[in-house]
Amino acid sequence: MRTTRVIWYLPLMAGMALMVAPGCSKKAVQSGGDAQSSQAGAASADKGTGGGGVGSNFPDTTLSNRDAGAAGGLRGLDAVGGGKSPSEERVTNGTMMAKLDPSQSGRQMDAIRSEQAAADAAGLRDVFFAYDSFAISEEGRQALSRNAEWIKANAGANLKIEGHCDERGTSAYNLVLGEKRAKAVRNYLVELGVSASRVGVVSYGKERPFCKERDEACYAQNRRGHVVVKTGK
Amino acid sequence: MRLRTCLLLTCSALVGAIGILESGATDVFLEATRPDFQKIPVGVIGIQNAGGPEWLGGRLEEGLKSDIRRSLVFTLVDVPGLGFKDVGTVPNPAFKQAVEGGASVLVWGKAGLKEGDKDADISMEGFVYDGGSNEVVGGKRYVGSSSVARLMAHRFADELVFRYTGEPGIARTKIAYVSEQGAARELFVMDYDGYEPRQVTSDGFLNLMPRWSPDRRFLVFTAYRNRNTQDIDMIELATGKRWTMVSLSGLNITPALSPDGNFLAFASSYEGNSELYRLDTRTKALQRLTTHASGDLSPSWAPSGRELAFASDRSGGPQIFLMSADGSNVRRLTFEGDYNAAPAWSPRGNWIAYVCRTPKKEYKLCLMTPDGQRRVQLTTGPGVDDSPSWSPDGRHLVFSSTADGKSQIYMINADGKDLERVTFTGVHNSAPAWSPAS
Repeated sequence: MRTTRVIWYLPLMAGMALMVAPGCSKKAVQSGGDAQSSQAGAASADKGTGGGGVGSNFPDTTLSNRDAGAAGGLRGLDAVGGGKSPSEERVTNGTMMAKLDPSQSGRQMDAIRSEQAAADAAGLRDVFFAYDSFAISEEGRQALSRNAEWIKANAGANLKIEGHCDERGTSAYNLVLGEKRAKAVRNYLVELGVSASRVGVVSYGKERPFCKERDEACYAQNRRGHVVVKTGK
Repeated sequence: MRLRTCLLLTCSALVGAIGILESGATDVFLEATRPDFQKIPVGVIGIQNAGGPEWLGGRLEEGLKSDIRRSLVFTLVDVPGLGFKDVGTVPNPAFKQAVEGGASVLVWGKAGLKEGDKDADISMEGFVYDGGSNEVVGGKRYVGSSSVARLMAHRFADELVFRYTGEPGIARTKIAYVSEQGAARELFVMDYDGYEPRQVTSDGFLNLMPRWSPDRRFLVFTAYRNRNTQDIDMIELATGKRWTMVSLSGLNITPALSPDGNFLAFASSYEGNSELYRLDTRTKALQRLTTHASGDLSPSWAPSGRELAFASDRSGGPQIFLMSADGSNVRRLTFEGDYNAAPAWSPRGNWIAYVCRTPKKEYKLCLMTPDGQRRVQLTTGPGVDDSPSWSPDGRHLVFSSTADGKSQIYMINADGKDLERVTFTGVHNSAPAWSPAS
């Protein structure tokens, strides 16, 4: 019954989804971004990461024998024949939740606001992509030519390219697609003579949409290489 | 005990017979969920309110019934002739009549304030009558604060499942997920039925794709706390203590701990594009698993821990691949459609759930057997379905969908029945991960 409700509740949405689908299915087939390292096998933890790596102090997560009991903490029903009462079992919330520490909250948002303000001041332009694609359009090239001129004229500035996607597709794959878009933007800037070291990339997949409506106009806004001025570290 | 063994034998015999009879059938056959007559009919007489708060009996009864229904081990049957007046002397003719009317098991209980307890703890008693032996085969008595009232019903339901199947049940399991909080996305954990949501992170920014440790103590997830990398962090639910497991440069996403907890599989773009790696959580040694000029992501462990399913766009659009846990023996699993992603290997090993794009360009859930022989589309209709995750008993999936507009979390049986929405608050809930059984 609930199935029926969910399926029939929004036929309008279905219609819209169908209308925008044709012509948007251009497939991206080659890899985006950097040349692939051919090295296989063991990768050392600190290789080429500029300080990043693998944590050394986190607890190991091995499942101990203690945890693997078939009954999962159940004690079984008590025999209650002959008018006997069951024994008393105290119930506590098995997964205790810690108190939140909001002290760091909002630090990233502050940084993002200042990057955005700097980009607005510089008049930087974003690049927009077709559905499922990380190919840069002619319009995108023009926007990037202008961005390239700005960064060449501002020797102290660095850029950050945020890759964004529309809500269609999986959260995980859209993070990869967003990174491909961001790297495609960076690669084109490098082709225009901008030093790669001055252009950082980050993918937000479909997790930070510019527009939250469910229509193609909104989706098109979200398939974006958003160009901001890197501030701070 | 004798009864349980007997029932188990009967069930496996039935399952065996069905398997043979229907091996050529075109519809879905799932051992755990399919034949109705495999389910044990249970009549719930009720949970009597014996001096507790007004809501107590009704809430526990509702919770118990929902748990029994969702167990898929039992089926709820009406026992209209039975009331609390009948539970005083057991067995009695009214019980026998209910059994003749189709109920194999009868359940009842009462809940109230714990006697003489100044902290106003509540108590719940539950009893189980088995029609086969015509006797009360067991009971439980729980006490605790009123905040864990529902947990008492969950525990009792799981005891029922355990008694009749030897499995721990899912009524006490939890679901971790991501919820939009202003401009941020934070981790939450709720009971498997959507009650008791609790916030786990408060970074004020993005936290994505949580997965459980096999002992349920930790969540692993992608955090954007660090300015220049997207790290894989680990948080201990009991304490809130947090560690960074992986902070390679670039995007570190889709972490998944192996069933024994010894390895963390994840995707990282630090060597150029997204590749799969395996981190030994004991030695902290890192091993690269894939080498390909396209994106590899979303590893999901087989319950044996010997194989991984993952998504890769090495064939154009994303497709599901399988490989051994050391990265060898890679083979493509999905060939239908141009977009298959987010694989989740069932805890019983017999299915891999994933997001499939239909010919109508809708993102729905599909199931495929690991040998590639059988494929089933599980969900239909509008909305983007994402992030399937199996219940530990392999009978249900939880996933996110925009079917009702904004992204919310839904549950569905592995045979496609009983779709139900789990989250109703918040503007955007996504990336559910079902905990292991406790």
